Amino acid sequence: MGEPIDISYVLEYLIKLLPTLRITLLIVVSSIVIGLGVGFIVALPQLYKIPILRRFSQIYLSFFRGTPILIQLFLFYYGLPEVLKLVHMDVSRVPALYFVILTYALHSGAYLAEMIRAAVGAVDRGQVEAAYAVGMTGFQAFTRIVLPQAIAISIPVFANLVIANLKDTSLAFSLGIMELTGKSQTLAVMSRHFVETYISLALIYFVISFGLEQLFHLLERRMQRHNRRAATEKKEQSSKKLRYRWLSAGIGFSRGGRENEA
Amino acid sequence: MIKLTKIRKSFGRNEVLKGIDLTVEKGEVVAILGPSGSGKTTLLRCINYLEKPNDGVISIDDFTVNCKRSGKKDIHTLRQKSAMVFQQYNLFRHRTALENVMEGLIIVKKEPKESARSRSVELLEKVGLGNKLDAYPSELSGGQQQRVGIARALALNPEVILFDEPTSALDPELVGEVLAVIRKIAKEGITMIIVTHEMSFAQDVASHVVFMDEGIIVEQGNPRDLFRSPKEERTKQFLKRITPEGIYSI
Repeated sequence: MGEPIDISYVLEYLIKLLPTLRITLLIVVSSIVIGLGVGFIVALPQLYKIPILRRFSQIYLSFFRGTPILIQLFLFYYGLPEVLKLVHMDVSRVPALYFVILTYALHSGAYLAEMIRAAVGAVDRGQVEAAYAVGMTGFQAFTRIVLPQAIAISIPVFANLVIANLKDTSLAFSLGIMELTGKSQTLAVMSRHFVETYISLALIYFVISFGLEQLFHLLERRMQRHNRRAATEKKEQSSKKLRYRWLSAGIGFSRGGRENEA
Repeated sequence: MIKLTKIRKSFGRNEVLKGIDLTVEKGEVVAILGPSGSGKTTLLRCINYLEKPNDGVISIDDFTVNCKRSGKKDIHTLRQKSAMVFQQYNLFRHRTALENVMEGLIIVKKEPKESARSRSVELLEKVGLGNKLDAYPSELSGGQQQRVGIARALALNPEVILFDEPTSALDPELVGEVLAVIRKIAKEGITMIIVTHEMSFAQDVASHVVFMDEGIIVEQGNPRDLFRSPKEERTKQFLKRITPEGIYSI
């Protein structure tokens, strides 16, 4: 099918696709930001073992983690307006993009809630006791002692979630959103240069993911400096040599991000 | 002065403290001894409400809390009157030695940063860590961490410092440096309650020794009498098991 492959088109399509990166990033950023809020609200009943709310948050978690994101997109896009019609709200004019952001926010929110729960749980109980013993209130102990440590712990997981979210946004094209993948579909069909378009598309996703990964890696190193200063200093020297090897070999970005753990 | 009256604490059906009465005078150093499971750590943790006693009255200075009717505010005020040194040090791991000591001063005591800083530096110098101000806990040895813990407790200027087995988690060769620091501050007349297994240290530093077993205080008195001529059978047995012959003949 399509035209014979001509690799020189890759650059051209790259440039044509880039403007739609804006939409993709808009979905990622807004859904992660909203998702963090949702995740916090969902994680709280679990952390504080609030009886009934805890049950609800579990149901929420198992729904969003147990069904494919594509199905969730369809359910929200086609289902939600029907439900809202019952309470006489007309959302037929609301752009599909909002449904997409909502779905991704709720989807990421489930995973972020798990991340928050795990990270807060991973902070040593003794830290809170020490904070209380010093005379802090519960709120002070949480914000000054637990939260900073929990954030540092959760960065590798957070990085994975953001990157997964970025790649998941490619499914938004199924609702007709003209983000990266959506645009590439039209481009490919119109020009009949399928492979070249998808190479450009893959390149963009790859570069963004790789950049994010590096960014989070730096952030993690900074946040975790209290844990592994001695260990990382040594590592840093050897990893400078290593980095070149990674890049040339084109591997090394599959690492989990926690390999520095002392 | 600290006064505990009829402190009771159960974990589920297991009654750990069966009505403890204890009075500690200002400037006294009290050592609490006893076999593991006797409730000594729980008693210590009840004094600053890390464990909530089921019943009893705690007064520190002129502030009294009835454990049956204790509100958040009472607990908060009570905790500000004591400081604790933990077995596992429990330094704030994301803060340097200096920040660990300053944290309470700035956040709880609302001291201006400059004076908090100078006082913290002074205290760290006192415990022999003037050259480790900017080290994170992970970069310090156990003994050093515990000395930061002691400085952090001292900074709060509490009515009483509670020591929960301060040397139990340490390598044997690091015990000495921590005990030396505790000894030093004991001489300054700070009220302290120490749960410990270091018999000779207790004998040496404490002005009052309490022996606990199975949730009650079996015997108490000055260290000389209690170590040399314990009255109760259980105390005798415990001391015999834990101290080799001869160590308690001064």
